[in-house]
Amino acid sequence: MTEIKHHAYLFDATRCIDCRACMVACSVENNIEMDKTRLWVAGLGVTGTFPDLQRGTMVYHCMHCEHPDCMSACPVGAYTKAEDGPVTYNPDLCIGCRYCMNACPFGVPHFDYDKGIIDGAFIDKCTFCPQRIYNGEEPACVHTCPTDALEYGDRDELIAKAHERIAAHPDKYIQHVYGEKENGGTSYLIISHVPFKDLGLPELPEEPINEVSEKVMEMTIPFAFGWGTVLSMVAIAAGKHNQKKEAEAEKQAEETK
Amino acid sequence: MTKTISRRDFLKLGAAGAGALALGQMLPAKVAQAARAAGHINAEGDGFVHSMCEMCVWRCGLIAKIKDGRVVKLDGNPEHPHSRGNLCPRGQSGLMNTYDPDRVLTPLIRVGKRGEGKFRQASWEEALDLVASKMTEIKNKYGAEAMVFSSTHNLSQPLFENLLYGFGSPNYGTQRSLCFNAMIVANTMTYGMEEPGRIYDDKLKYILLTGRNLLEAISTSETHDLIMAIENGAKVVYLDPRYTKTASKATEWLPIKPGNDLAFHLALLNIIIGEKLYNRSFVEKNTVGFDELKKEVARYTPEWAAPLTGIPAETIIRIAHELAEAAPHALVHNGWRTSNFVNSFHTQRAISIMNALLGNWNKVLVAAAGEESGALGAPPQPAYPRISALRLDGVPWKYPVVPFKIGVFQELRDNIVSGDPYQAHGWFISRQNPIQSLPDRGKTIEAFGKLDFIVTVDIVLNDTAWFSDVVLPEASYLERYDPLLPVGDKVFLRQPVIEPQGEAKSALWIYKQLGERLGLGDYFQYEDEEDYIRQQLKPLGVSLEEVKAQGFAELSSAEGEAEFSWNTPSGKIELFSDTLAKVGFPGVPTWEEPPQPAEGQFYLLTGKIATSTQFGTQNNQLLHKYSEEPRLWMNTKTATDLGLETDDWVEVTSEVGQIHTKLLATQAIRPDCVYMTPGYGHLSKGLKTAYGVGASDSAVHVTYTDPISGGQALSQTFVTVKKA
Ligand code: SF4
Ligand code: SF4
Ligand code: SF4
Ligand code: SF4
Repeated sequence: MTEIKHHAYLFDATRCIDCRACMVACSVENNIEMDKTRLWVAGLGVTGTFPDLQRGTMVYHCMHCEHPDCMSACPVGAYTKAEDGPVTYNPDLCIGCRYCMNACPFGVPHFDYDKGIIDGAFIDKCTFCPQRIYNGEEPACVHTCPTDALEYGDRDELIAKAHERIAAHPDKYIQHVYGEKENGGTSYLIISHVPFKDLGLPELPEEPINEVSEKVMEMTIPFAFGWGTVLSMVAIAAGKHNQKKEAEAEKQAEETK
Repeated sequence: MTKTISRRDFLKLGAAGAGALALGQMLPAKVAQAARAAGHINAEGDGFVHSMCEMCVWRCGLIAKIKDGRVVKLDGNPEHPHSRGNLCPRGQSGLMNTYDPDRVLTPLIRVGKRGEGKFRQASWEEALDLVASKMTEIKNKYGAEAMVFSSTHNLSQPLFENLLYGFGSPNYGTQRSLCFNAMIVANTMTYGMEEPGRIYDDKLKYILLTGRNLLEAISTSETHDLIMAIENGAKVVYLDPRYTKTASKATEWLPIKPGNDLAFHLALLNIIIGEKLYNRSFVEKNTVGFDELKKEVARYTPEWAAPLTGIPAETIIRIAHELAEAAPHALVHNGWRTSNFVNSFHTQRAISIMNALLGNWNKVLVAAAGEESGALGAPPQPAYPRISALRLDGVPWKYPVVPFKIGVFQELRDNIVSGDPYQAHGWFISRQNPIQSLPDRGKTIEAFGKLDFIVTVDIVLNDTAWFSDVVLPEASYLERYDPLLPVGDKVFLRQPVIEPQGEAKSALWIYKQLGERLGLGDYFQYEDEEDYIRQQLKPLGVSLEEVKAQGFAELSSAEGEAEFSWNTPSGKIELFSDTLAKVGFPGVPTWEEPPQPAEGQFYLLTGKIATSTQFGTQNNQLLHKYSEEPRLWMNTKTATDLGLETDDWVEVTSEVGQIHTKLLATQAIRPDCVYMTPGYGHLSKGLKTAYGVGASDSAVHVTYTDPISGGQALSQTFVTVKKA
């Protein structure tokens, strides 16, 4: 790997098989609690009518925006944008106001509703695995991806690689690298065979939202909720499954009588 | 009704207190002494240990990260050809199997009724003495053959075989007949090997997948290869009644009618031969039986196959032409779990033969390196005693071409129930779960009822352990050594990255201890696990320490370029098989009409998902966390016609059982099929995460055996579905 000036990811939706190895890897690497996650599956899933079908899903986590709205919205400065890419969050400063949740156009920061203020750590999001990237390792999610749908490297180099790949397969890819310009640029870059909105991505202006106006700021809120509903797949199944467990266990028990 | 764990309890299990760590808070940390002695782990208990995954049988190489004496992360080993640095979701979740709060950590002896789940803890001494005395009692009273043994596809299997054959029983159950007997027997009859290797290089132009859902049934390196082949422009044609993730990446998806893959492949052969599109010089030089084949397939025209498969004749013709055009850089993939219908053996033969006609040998298909390597040593052992009793599974007296080490597992179960040709009285099960794996769960439980004694070796109380009399706790794959595994020009090592928790022990230790109590000590001539591996390494001149350090040792590849011949009776690829013909089966692939569902019934399909391996990983909390809720897939239009909606509870009924499950209305399946994710609906309350989730496919699967390969026809079950 060449020297990385600006850490970034490239996600290729044509390669992703929705296997979720990246999610498990992140949970393990970062000791994420069983009812939480830093990565989600988004997108419309299977669309069309049998047998003319198409599938569009993507895996996403914090986009590590170049002009992070979370950071602009945070009244106590709990967020930091590092010069070399990662957007990080300091739980010790957080007061639990949840402004960042509303501000983020991608619905990334998640609030821990199970905890009171004195328990600390209200918000969780992807950290870019500093414990790995600053020790010469790829982020955990990228490292394990069996199809190289997730790649890691220098932002400029990945942008070049993305353009090269989409240009080489014009019939396959939408000719656009999402995140190169959106919202002033992100460090999570996406290329796809289905329209980006079918992957659940908001259409954002090139100018960073937080540098425009209050009006646009309001506009981002529906985006965040819109994203939430597009979030097709069960992200954290744990809670959901278990509410149903008792009912199902009873059914099964009856059958085996 | 026992209350199962609530959401709260579950979260507590996972979060385990204020530190809110997801993993491994339940058990004390222990660094493997061996790893420390080898210098992998420093005084603080931190370091990296190379080993091998066992979350499925692909056995990717892994590097375990140890922190404060605890496994905190597993990453793929870039030097291992099966992982190339990646692990699939199951491999990533592996440490949660080891740290599963439901681990069995002492031997257990049943105190309640069978299936009641009441056990008491026992010492190894007591448990092993009890097992040995029960086995001896059965042998003395009814003969050694009254003890049935089963275990499959693990690295300790040679020692398991020593136990069963040394004991003197012919009754060896593997689960292969529930999976790929059709493929293995077909390849053995055609190429003289179970499964040729496959090369995915940048010349590969065409891949025809018959239900091989490689993007969900993941074999890490091959899954990667397929994605890259697609990117490099290879055309992928995929046959499956379901729109799987593989279908979504394929160039062309053909939702074929279940049971009729054979018609499709016979029609391809018809065109390739009829239009003389095969590789003539390859066929002349390397095959036998072309004329018989030609004669038989002449009647299987694309027009004949079209109504059977639901695929237009023009499409079949086009695919045949495309294959011939791409040859020899074309792969007709055998698939994996291939015993779907009683005609599946012929389908597999047709596929194996097509590859030969395309002349892709050494370009796409290659001689597979087996899992046994002559280069490795082994402890000395005596010959097995002569065994004269018949095998209960019908091999070879009912299934003459099924290899002994593969067997027909469902037939074994059936004959435990029937008591024919004799009554079995005991069952020793290691790392297997027949209650979940065999079709017709009710019948398997009935078979258990016929037995005086059942012992299970496992790491958790799976459904089979739940119904057993003694449970012996095995060390997990991160806690033990196993015999070495040759892959290509290397041998790989599985070594403990932490000490076994509780009283758990390796299979190498358990079999030896039991063997000695049964007077079979000569079959287990090793001091301990390390000594066993040292004896294996001896001819290589490599020390165990060296292998421990990098996780593998090089094998000298001095084989040279010897003239290759196939291990068949003729020494050639057998398009016509005399072996088959001699025992009364057709020598070339021949059409057999598959049964069809009656009015109002559906084909019941199953198939893998990326986040589970058969029925053994549903209790892994990390996989549970990221798996979708298992539901019965039904085509949206069919569901609407039946007045059903997503999340409705439905009753699914087959000839042998009934289950209740929730429905998922989806476009992604043929209207005449329904699909269930296999491996859910566990009975054991000892599996606190998996218990109560989903329904069991084995409760409704009907037992149908392919008479040639002995494979269980897993898609031949027809069900009715109505609102529960
Ligand atoms: S590991 Fe890779 S292929 Fe699997 S879901 Fe994540 S990004 Fe997609
Ligand atoms: S994606 Fe959201 S949370 Fe991440 S940097 Fe951008 S605004 Fe902040
Ligand atoms: S970069 Fe690290 S923290 Fe972020 S999603 Fe990937 S694994 Fe999780
Ligand atoms: S394919 Fe997955 S489960 Fe199987 S050995 Fe590899 S990492 Fe482990």
